[in-house]
Amino acid sequence: MSCDDNKDARTKDRDRRRSLPVVDKSVAPAKGAAPADGGNGLWRSQRPWRSIDERDRQGAMPGAANEFPAGTMDVDDNVSRRGFMQLLSVSTAVATVGAACQKPNEKIVPFVRRPEEVTPGNPLHFATAYALEGYGSGLLVESHEGRPTKIEGNPAHPQTIGATTAIEQALILGLYDDDRAKQLRQGVTPIAWRSLLGQINANNAKLAENRGAGLRFLTAPTTSPLLLDLRRRILERFPQAKFVSYSSVADDGAVDGARMAFGKPMVPRHRLGSADVILSLDSDFLAEGPEQTRLSREFAARREPSPRMSRLYVVEPAVTVTGAMADHRLRMQGTEVGSFVAGLCSVLASRGLEKLAPLASLSHGERKWDMKWLVALAGDLERHRGSSLVIAGCRQPPAVHALAAALNAALGNVGVTVEYGAPLTPDPLSGPAPLAALAQDIAAGAVDTLVITAANPVYTAPADFKFAKLLERVPNSIYFGLNEDETAAACKVMVPAAHALETWGDVRATDGTVSIIQPLIAPLWGGIQEAELYAAFIGEGDVGANKLLRRYWQGQFKGGEFDAHWERWLADGIVPDTGVAAEGGVAVDGAALAQTVAPLLTRTKSGMEIAFVVDPKLYDGRFANNAWLQELPHPITKLTWDNAAMLSETTAKALGIETGDIVEVTYRDRHVDAPAMIVPGHVDDTVTLPLGYGRTGVGVGGVAKDVGFNAGALRTSDNPWYDRGATVAKTGRRFKFAITQDHWTMSPDGRVIPPPAVEGPIEEVLKRDSKFHEEIEVRRGPLPTIHEPVDYSKQAYKWAMSIDLNKCTGCSACVVACVSENNINVVGKENVWRGREMQWIRVDRYFSGNDDSLSMITQPLMCVHCETAPCEYVCPVNATVHSDEGLNEMVYNRCIGTRYCSNNCPYKVRRFNYLNYIADYTAVRELGMNPDVTVRTRGIMEKCTYCVQRIERKRISTRIEGRTIADGELETACQQSCPTRAIVFGSLNDASSKVSQQHADPRRYDLLHEIGTRPRTAYLARVRNPNPELHVPDAHGAGQEHGKGEHE
Amino acid sequence: MAAPHPSVSRDPLEPQPLIEGVHTDKTINDSLLAHVWRGAGKGWFALFSVALAMLGLLVIAISWTLYKGIGAWGNNIPVGWAFGIINFVWWIGIGHAGTLISAILLLFQQKWRTSINRFAEAMTLFAVICALLFPLLHTGRPWFAIYWLMPYPSTNGIWPQFKSPLTWDVFAVSTYFTISLLFWFLGLVPDLAALRDSSKSKTKRMVYGLLAMGWRGSGRHWAEYKWAYVLLAGLSTPLVLSVHTIVSFDFATSVIPGWHTTIFPPYFVAGAVFSGFAMVMTWMVPARHFLGLKHVVTMKHLENMNKIMLVTGMMVSYGYIMEHFIAWYSGDPYEYAQFFKTRWGGPMSGIFYLMVFCNVVTPQIFWFKKARTSIPVMWIASIFINVGMWCERFNIVITSLHQDFIPSKFENYSPTWVDITLFIGTIGLFSTLFLLFLKFIPAVAVTEVKELRHELAHDPTADPVGETH
Repeated sequence: MSCDDNKDARTKDRDRRRSLPVVDKSVAPAKGAAPADGGNGLWRSQRPWRSIDERDRQGAMPGAANEFPAGTMDVDDNVSRRGFMQLLSVSTAVATVGAACQKPNEKIVPFVRRPEEVTPGNPLHFATAYALEGYGSGLLVESHEGRPTKIEGNPAHPQTIGATTAIEQALILGLYDDDRAKQLRQGVTPIAWRSLLGQINANNAKLAENRGAGLRFLTAPTTSPLLLDLRRRILERFPQAKFVSYSSVADDGAVDGARMAFGKPMVPRHRLGSADVILSLDSDFLAEGPEQTRLSREFAARREPSPRMSRLYVVEPAVTVTGAMADHRLRMQGTEVGSFVAGLCSVLASRGLEKLAPLASLSHGERKWDMKWLVALAGDLERHRGSSLVIAGCRQPPAVHALAAALNAALGNVGVTVEYGAPLTPDPLSGPAPLAALAQDIAAGAVDTLVITAANPVYTAPADFKFAKLLERVPNSIYFGLNEDETAAACKVMVPAAHALETWGDVRATDGTVSIIQPLIAPLWGGIQEAELYAAFIGEGDVGANKLLRRYWQGQFKGGEFDAHWERWLADGIVPDTGVAAEGGVAVDGAALAQTVAPLLTRTKSGMEIAFVVDPKLYDGRFANNAWLQELPHPITKLTWDNAAMLSETTAKALGIETGDIVEVTYRDRHVDAPAMIVPGHVDDTVTLPLGYGRTGVGVGGVAKDVGFNAGALRTSDNPWYDRGATVAKTGRRFKFAITQDHWTMSPDGRVIPPPAVEGPIEEVLKRDSKFHEEIEVRRGPLPTIHEPVDYSKQAYKWAMSIDLNKCTGCSACVVACVSENNINVVGKENVWRGREMQWIRVDRYFSGNDDSLSMITQPLMCVHCETAPCEYVCPVNATVHSDEGLNEMVYNRCIGTRYCSNNCPYKVRRFNYLNYIADYTAVRELGMNPDVTVRTRGIMEKCTYCVQRIERKRISTRIEGRTIADGELETACQQSCPTRAIVFGSLNDASSKVSQQHADPRRYDLLHEIGTRPRTAYLARVRNPNPELHVPDAHGAGQEHGKGEHE
Repeated sequence: MAAPHPSVSRDPLEPQPLIEGVHTDKTINDSLLAHVWRGAGKGWFALFSVALAMLGLLVIAISWTLYKGIGAWGNNIPVGWAFGIINFVWWIGIGHAGTLISAILLLFQQKWRTSINRFAEAMTLFAVICALLFPLLHTGRPWFAIYWLMPYPSTNGIWPQFKSPLTWDVFAVSTYFTISLLFWFLGLVPDLAALRDSSKSKTKRMVYGLLAMGWRGSGRHWAEYKWAYVLLAGLSTPLVLSVHTIVSFDFATSVIPGWHTTIFPPYFVAGAVFSGFAMVMTWMVPARHFLGLKHVVTMKHLENMNKIMLVTGMMVSYGYIMEHFIAWYSGDPYEYAQFFKTRWGGPMSGIFYLMVFCNVVTPQIFWFKKARTSIPVMWIASIFINVGMWCERFNIVITSLHQDFIPSKFENYSPTWVDITLFIGTIGLFSTLFLLFLKFIPAVAVTEVKELRHELAHDPTADPVGETH
């Protein structure tokens, strides 16, 4: 979709979006107000739901605080008194303290008089943003009577452009997570925020004596103008204080690599829209990093089968989402990529790229890859000078990033497909290096007060820092976090953080555009906001985040009426004209680079390679307590509720390991026991360990606890991603994985599934009389039948969907979006193992080829709404029926649960509530349910409804306006979240609708067409665009795929 | 009481008789009612306590299922039906022998049926009771299923879906149960009167008297009784074919490879008769021994049943062969894969081979007279056939479902303790009812045996073997 579409969407959405009313005066919440207000009055630790049985259900507080029933410690006299005594003792701070003793004077209250735009029952959408790794994703959050229920992408935002990732979709569940930290505490003693402010003030006075020499902040990487401004002011007051930025998944290699290539730290920004040939060096750019949504969109836009179709080469150790989309994929150990790219430099230099001449002589060591592949790739890159792109992954060392930058510069791609810009944060590095400096300071006893706002560093920090032990040496440690996690247990003070949806703040996108983060709900458990904690160090801890933010932006704003602009920024989700232009004229000194890089490329170590990888679901572990993500099948392995030590089949055979064996992985005298899994397309002699699992801490929530193994326990600061010298040994024990798809091949046992993929040069595929057309023609169109098909053409709408498999990357954002929209239950590991997962969308993936020429195809499959649906006639009680517009509808309250409909569904897309899953819901969790969708109890069948609640909402609103629903104004939840726009929904009775066009596409086919079900969801076959030099037509054959992958 | 020893010397070429020894009405009466009047022995109590314990398991399993939901079972998606439906079909099948023996053999005037029909009819009833548990229990919300499946004019105006084979099932099985119950009870009336007349205590006289419904044995009674009996037999006859035909429609009308086949109705009926006779055999062999019925349930009866098992076993085998032939001949890749890959080599192929052994190989032994007339051989074979027929339903229900069309949703299935306990529990229910039946009701239709004796004794032209030409 182009920018113009975005603009339209923005205009359309404009009147729907409002900022929340902010009341500056101290107003107590109205008595008997609707519970949705968060009810958060005087005491921040007060819980929003106060009925007795509900309080009991909400569970005890973490740690030793358990002995006090919830609610009794809201006002702790002892602590307040002690705090008060401390306040008195600090005479210099009396004035400030006075303020801190007052009630917080800012809160979000329910409407006393209903504002014009609020209609009970009709949701509102608010624009906000979510910051991950310091960069913001613009979101639109649906709010029902003050309760956020669903996340969507903000079309106006340059990074998300209307779509989201699975992790962003799951934020809703994280907000209502009952395991979140709820109590501000000092050790095991609950204290009030104002008491803590008093202590901080007292401490500030002490710190000020030596200019803050003992003060350290360990923060997550941030681009927030407000936080950076507060940081500046803190440093003004405490010049000796230091801010350290840390993330266990930082992209430091890119910054350092740019430093090597261009002489200064820079961050690459990619533009796939103009890239004809893309080489990914171990970069999962379609599913990783802050730009993934936009990059996926741009990539997919160039995958339309036409002569302009782009070509993707991927070099990587284990299959990723990006690797699965590749036209050519080369499996390669992570530590080999450096010499591969050096080899590429020398081949390109020999093909006349003078700029690469100094790099031609770089030793690329023992060649372990297919030279033909490299030469073909080099030829392709060279032919597409100025429209090619080399992307290096965040796991690769700076040398690889430097060579990628040199390649891009030499190929003339800089400014076209890639731009380099200055980092948007004052601390460009946030990996192990800055943390090491902090660790040294702590070890030397130089740190008196440590404020940690980074995500759980005790768990994520490299094992060699022994960070938990180090923290014992810090006299005053304050942890600001969402959960009572490992770091909270190791710190003296635990400050419960407000969730991203409860926060005021701001954040920049990768291009610099600022979004204002506005809260959707008052902090459910009285969480503190990051800006407030910062402000406490400049004596403004009681000002409130909203005021801090407004004050900052008012200061920045020049010209005009601020309030009106502020409202506009909040409504739009972006602050206009805040983007930062890329720097032009970067130059690479080839000779100097060669000198720097050469020693880095020599391989000194041997042995098996150990590779760590960011988990696509739990990230670095911070989403481990999110059951939606835990239960989301991994895009490649389809594993839920666990991580696995991934191995190639060859390696596993050599070690005598089978999938499900528990192995001991040893690396530098540390070891973990991990269940092994054989993964197709994995490189030999490497073991890949996903991070983020194996949480065992005291306060770790019930969802995250004891799921998987902690790969981070092996991770060291010098080689955070790849190293050699690991050993993997069988322990003899076995493990049961909960995998949603055991079968790898597409047509096991000769069953013929229509071909989702077509291989062959693009020109060949596009020909009308090609084999592809013969193959696909039999998989669509009318079949002979004795029944007169129902005529839907007289209806106002004929709902249908199309899914373009050429665009689907398998990222699974749609799955979580659907879960969120449709109140789908989580079933837990045991039930997934039994085959009872409830997600309405199943992203099927099929491998074909062998490990060296692996292709993977993903196919999202939800109810296809057959016109002649096999499920309908078998139901004895009429609980599943057909609508006039062609929807296959479930009547939940009529269903008696015979499961006959599911048995007779050839697509197996129906889901059954085998147990009473909703029994586990807490009262707070229920706030996040979509009120438009019935919650299903035990014993009931359910399935995709084509988001019928959205259809009906739109029908109502358009009927009021006296018109019909226009194409494109109605989006299903999966369609809305899809970063690549692979899913299209609309009416087939409108010949000009997008879905009608897609249904007429030459690539269109119907899944299981031969059964005669007449599905309303059509698929567009995937077309690959292989390099003719590398393409072996007979290896796969056009059309039908014959899977040769393993079949379990 | 031991049967009178056959004292009359027989021509060795003469076929075996249907009643062994020389009897009067009184000796028949005494010998066949004896087991009712005899106090319950230790053996009966031992068996009954085992059966009751198993019945207790059934109560536990049902309670747990209702409390937890169907998730207490091992079912999943794609295997939406599993043990519940297997057990349903298996029990319904077992019930078929009773109707076949009572109705069809009566209409064909096969005299040998009289000694075993009471026994088989009781089995039908109890098997259908066991079977009926499952369609209800296996639904997600049985409290609604129990009446939403009934076509009654409700205020909301919603009727059952008459296109659904499950709705047909409700009619078929409930009709079958009703007719079977009536038929069985009607046959019992003269015997209950006999029990009443020979009762030694007042209570027993009252109870049996009530049940006998005023039967006095007048000529008019006999005339009406005979008519009613034949009429009910006529009604039951189509049911033998229709019940399992309709049960087979549950599968045959679907689109699932392995279910979607036209051979199912006859193949199911043959399988039902096959398994029904096997079950009758399994119980009859010990019962005739312990209840002293050897003189009326003679080797002739057992051999005839073995012959029927051989015939129906061959029909079932033909069904297996035709399923495979059609899977190949039709050229449908899914069906081909279901039969030649999934059943032969899939994760559940062991059950398939066990089925072939039990249902195809085992009955072949009955080609040999020696085996047909050997008590241990026929008893073990009958158990094999019972196991085999359960495996057949496993193959149809679970193996077909677990790998159907889209390979990404192939799942394995494993039962939970509840599944297994439920199955054992229904065997307990069946056994409990059966042991009670043996204790309180004559296991052989006394009246009919007397009648048969008269026919054989008074009609010199009558074929002593009881086979009508």
